[in-house]
Amino acid sequence: MGIRIALAGNPNCGKTTLFNALTGSNQFVGNWPGVTVEYKEGKYKGEKEVTIVDLPGIYSLSPYTLEEVVSRNYLIDERPDAIINVIDGTNLERNLYLTTQIMEVGIPVVVAINMMDVVEKNGDKINTGKLSEEIGVPVVEISALKNKGLSDIVNKAIDAAKEAKPQAPKHRFNGSVEHAFAHIEELCLHDIADENLQRWYSIKLFERDEKVQEKLGLSQEVISHIEKDIQSCEQELDDDAESIITGERYNYIGTIIGDCVKKAAVGLSSSDKIDRVLTNRWLALPIFALVMWLVYYISVTTVGTWATDWANDGVFGDGWHLFAIGSADYNDAAEEFAANQIIVDGYDVYVEENGTEPTGDFEYPVEDEETLEVTYETASLEDYEAAKAYVESNEEPDPANYGVWVPGVPVLVGNLLESLNVNEIVSGLILDGIVAGVGAVLGFVPQIFVLFIFLAFLESCGYMARVAFIMDRIFRRFGLSGKSFIPMLIGTGCGIPGIMASRTIESDRDRKMTIMTTTFIPCGAKLPFIAMVAGAIFGGASWVAPSAYFLGIFAIIVSGVMLKKTKLFAGDPAPFVMELPAYHWPTLGNVLRSMWERGWSFIKKAGTIILLSTIVVWFTTFFGFTADGFRMLAEDEIDMSILASIGKAFAWIFIPLGFGHWEATVASITGLVAKENIVGTLGIIYSASGDVYGAMNAAFTAASGFAFLAFNLLCAPCFAAMGAIKREMNSAKWFWTAIGYQCGFAWVIGLISYQVGKVFTGEGFTVGTIFGIAAICILIYGIFRKDKYKAN
Amino acid sequence: MGTAIVVIVLVLIVSAAIRSIIKARKNGQHPACGGDCNHCGGGCH
Repeated sequence: MGIRIALAGNPNCGKTTLFNALTGSNQFVGNWPGVTVEYKEGKYKGEKEVTIVDLPGIYSLSPYTLEEVVSRNYLIDERPDAIINVIDGTNLERNLYLTTQIMEVGIPVVVAINMMDVVEKNGDKINTGKLSEEIGVPVVEISALKNKGLSDIVNKAIDAAKEAKPQAPKHRFNGSVEHAFAHIEELCLHDIADENLQRWYSIKLFERDEKVQEKLGLSQEVISHIEKDIQSCEQELDDDAESIITGERYNYIGTIIGDCVKKAAVGLSSSDKIDRVLTNRWLALPIFALVMWLVYYISVTTVGTWATDWANDGVFGDGWHLFAIGSADYNDAAEEFAANQIIVDGYDVYVEENGTEPTGDFEYPVEDEETLEVTYETASLEDYEAAKAYVESNEEPDPANYGVWVPGVPVLVGNLLESLNVNEIVSGLILDGIVAGVGAVLGFVPQIFVLFIFLAFLESCGYMARVAFIMDRIFRRFGLSGKSFIPMLIGTGCGIPGIMASRTIESDRDRKMTIMTTTFIPCGAKLPFIAMVAGAIFGGASWVAPSAYFLGIFAIIVSGVMLKKTKLFAGDPAPFVMELPAYHWPTLGNVLRSMWERGWSFIKKAGTIILLSTIVVWFTTFFGFTADGFRMLAEDEIDMSILASIGKAFAWIFIPLGFGHWEATVASITGLVAKENIVGTLGIIYSASGDVYGAMNAAFTAASGFAFLAFNLLCAPCFAAMGAIKREMNSAKWFWTAIGYQCGFAWVIGLISYQVGKVFTGEGFTVGTIFGIAAICILIYGIFRKDKYKAN
Repeated sequence: MGTAIVVIVLVLIVSAAIRSIIKARKNGQHPACGGDCNHCGGGCH
C-alpha cells in the first residue's frame, strides 16, 4: 500500500518548487496566484511507493476561491496519509493561519519552513524547536530552491504517515466557542464515517459554511438548531461567527510569533528599494515597455536572428561553414563573382533585347535578392570586358574550398534521394513539402529558446509578478481587474494554460471576458510567424516583434473597456490581491528547465502535427485540376492547385486588409491547426519561387504585411486553444461568441492597419482609408461611450 | 526500388507521428497545443 503525501500551503510559498525537487517533475513554477489550479501527483524520487501531491496554493480552507475548493476537497475527501504544510518563513504570521486550519482536518502534519535563506539574509531568527513545541507538529527548515532539508521533511512525513496518528490541534478556542462546537458535534457529527473530521466539521458549521451543510445533508431543523448555538455565542462575544474564529486564530498565532520569532530592525529591504523604481507610478510602464522591447529585440532581432539565420540558411538551407571559418572569405569571393556575372548576363540581355551589341554604356537589370525588386544599373564596355575576363578566368566559388563546409538538410536529403533515383513526386513531397515546411518552422527554434530564456528569467526573478501589479493599476482605471492579466502572462508560453488560469477569476463575466481576450497575447507558437514577417516584409526591423506583443496588450485593454460597457460583461472588476515575492536571482537550472520544457514541446509539435500538416499542404499546393485533368503541377502552375482554389474562395474576405491573395489566405486558415503552420505553409508555397523571403516581400507591402501580422495574431487561436475556450465557457453560444469576437476584432484591426497604414507608407489615401478611419472612430466610440450599466 | 524504400520510410515516419498524436490524445494532451502539457491541466481534452 503506497503513501500519499500532500503539499499544502499559501500561494507562492514554494510548493511546486518543492514538488519538482521531490519528484523530478517539471511542473511550471510561477510566482503569481493561479499557476496551480488543479492538484498534480508525482512519485517521490527513490521511493516509488510514495506519491507526492501538489495542491493549489490557498490562504484558508474556506471555499472562497477555486483553489481553496480544490485543495480543501482533496484533503477532506481524498484523505492523504500525511500533509507537508509548506510555510514561507519570511511571512510566518499569514502562513500559520492556514496551518491552524490544516491541523484540524485530522491528518498527520509536518511543517516545512521554506525560504530560510531569505529569513537569515533579512536578519530574522525563527526558533523552530520552540515552534514545533508550540504547535505540536515536527518543524523542519528547508530551501526547496537549493535542495536543503528535503529528504528530512519527507522522511518525517513518511514516519508520520506510517504512524497514522491523526493530528490533534493544540489550539483551543474561547470556552463559549468550544461549547458551541461540542453542541454541534453532539447534534449531527457523532455518526460521520471519519471521526477525525468531527472538529473540522464543527468549526465549519459554526462558520455557517454552506458547502459543508450541504455535504453533510443536514436538515433544516438541525441547521436551525445549530444557528441558535452560533447566535448565542455571537451575542456573548459581540462579533459574527467567522470573525470570532479568525480573530481567535490570529490571537493564537500572535502568541506563537512572540515566542518563536525574533525580527531584525525594520528597514527597507533590497526588494523594496528596487520596487520604488520598478513599480513607481510614473516609471513602471515605460520600464515595462523597455524591458519587453529589449526581450523581443534580443530574441528576434539580434541574438535570435543570428542563430535563426544559421538555422534557416545553413541547417535548412544550402549549408554552413563549421565554426564560420572561411565564411567571410567565401562571401567576398561569391559577391565579387556575382557582381561580374551580372554585368556579363546584362550584356547578353541587352544583345538579346536589341538584336545588336551596345556601342557604349549599356543598362542591365539587377534583381534584389531580398525584395525581388528589379532595378537598372549602367556599365561601360570596359566594365563588361573586365567582368567577362574575370568570369572566364575564375570559376564560381565553391564554399568547400574556403573551410569545412557542412551541407544543409535539403542538400543532404536531395543528394540521397537522387542517389536512390527516387520518383519525382516522392522527392517533391519530401523536399518541397516536409523539408521546406518543417524546416521553415524548425529554423525558428533558436529564437524561441532565446525568448523563453528571457521570459523564464523575468518570471523567476519576481518581475512578472510586479507587472501584474502594475497592470492591475491600469486595468482598474478601465474597469478591468488585474486578475485578467495573470492568464495573459501565462499565455505568453501557450494560450491554453492561460485560458485555464482564468478559472481563478470569481466573477463569471470577468472570467468569460478574460477567456475571450487571453489569446490576443502572442504565444510561443506565434513567434516564428512574427519573426518571419519581421524578416521578410520589414527587413528585420527591430520594432516589429515588440509591436506584436504591445498590440496584444492593446487589444486586451481595448476589448476589455468596450466589452465592460455591454450588458453581457457589465459589473465591477473583481478584487485582485497578490503577494509580491522578494526579488531573487533564479537558479540557472530553473531557467534552463523552463526554457527547455517550452521549447521542446515546440520541437515535438514540428515532428507531429506540423509534419502531417506540411504533407497535406504540399499535396494541395502541387496538385490540382487543369485542362489536362487532375495532375501534379509545375512550380509555375500552383495557381491552379487545390490550395489555391480554397484560398481564392476565401481571399475576398481579406481584400480590404490588403492581403486578399490565396497564399496569405490559406496560411491564415492552416494557422488554425497550429500557428506555426502559417510559417510552414508560406514556406512551401513560396519555396516554388526559390526565395521564400523575397517572394513574401514582393507579395506584401509594409501596410498589408502589418495587417497580415495583426489579423493572424488576434484572430481565433489554434484548434487546441479553441477546445480550451469551449471547455472553459461550457456553452456553445459563448464559445461562438468568443471566436466570432476574436475574428471580428482581428479583422477590424487588420483593416485599420492596412487602410490607414498605407497613407503613412506612401501608398496614398483611398476610399478604403475612409473605412479605416471610420473603424477607428467606432473603436473610440466603444471605448469612451457612456457606461450605462455602471450605476447598476 | 529506391522509391519503394523511401515511401516505406515515409509511411513509417507518418505512422509514428499519427501514433504519437493518438497516444498524446489518450494521455489527455493535445498535439496542437504549443505549451508545456505539465502545467496545462488538460484544457484541450
